[in-house]
Amino acid sequence: MSESTELVTRKEQAGELVHQLPIATPAVDIFENEGEILLHADMPGVMKDDVAINIDNGKMNLSGIRRLQLAGALTRREFTDAAEYRRTFSVPQSIDVNKVHAELKDGVLCLHLPKSEAAKPRQIEIQAE
Amino acid sequence: MIARWHDLNQMLGAMDLFRNQMNSVFNDFDRTYTTGPGWSDAGTYPRTNLSDTGDNLEMLAELPGIAKEDLNVKIQGNYLEISGTRKSDLPEGYQVHRTERGAASFSRSFTLPCDVNAAQVTATLKDGILKLTLPKAETAKPRQISIN
Repeated sequence: MSESTELVTRKEQAGELVHQLPIATPAVDIFENEGEILLHADMPGVMKDDVAINIDNGKMNLSGIRRLQLAGALTRREFTDAAEYRRTFSVPQSIDVNKVHAELKDGVLCLHLPKSEAAKPRQIEIQAE
Repeated sequence: MIARWHDLNQMLGAMDLFRNQMNSVFNDFDRTYTTGPGWSDAGTYPRTNLSDTGDNLEMLAELPGIAKEDLNVKIQGNYLEISGTRKSDLPEGYQVHRTERGAASFSRSFTLPCDVNAAQVTATLKDGILKLTLPKAETAKPRQISIN
């Protein structure tokens, strides 16, 4: 058995830098009707490709990365230009994960979480004999 | 008599200590109050960043979900006002579980660090971020002075 003395340098991967961004909590509205749960989240400055939604084991992780940059010398700062919006929600089991869809418009994410067929209320017809 | 002075001093010392402790309690309270999430800019809407690029001032404002028709920007000299209304996007026939994104009209005014050329200001609204490019007035621009 020969012991290798060679060192392996590991390059930083694209995904790793993301976690150094300051975390912001998006404000959300949550609505529900018979067919779905609807979530609106404020994510100003986030582009469509930088949004990630993960649903796993009853938890939904919402993440959106904002890559803004203001040129010049900053004279007043009230929010961080580059930030990650992140928030976790509990999702009921009755959601049909495969049919979840979302759209992003003017910095607002609209997330539709349709209920599975089994969870929808159903009218039972009474049959006459 | 000397012993009594000593007692008095000791008591005053204890009171000083107590006062310092109380002061730091309030400092800690203020710190969490002003830097904690959600509190830092409570009541300030929209939040803005302002920068100076030499010839221009640039401002970014967070305005998610606001159409450009519902937004007004007014400039006069070094006075800037952003106002508008955020319409409710409450869908019909839904039961409401949580509302954190209120719908309301807003107005915020700023005193800019220098006069700007109002005729050449450009404003763009993209992905919920309003970007204002405010060219400085000629008198406010930096000027190179040659030394004789």
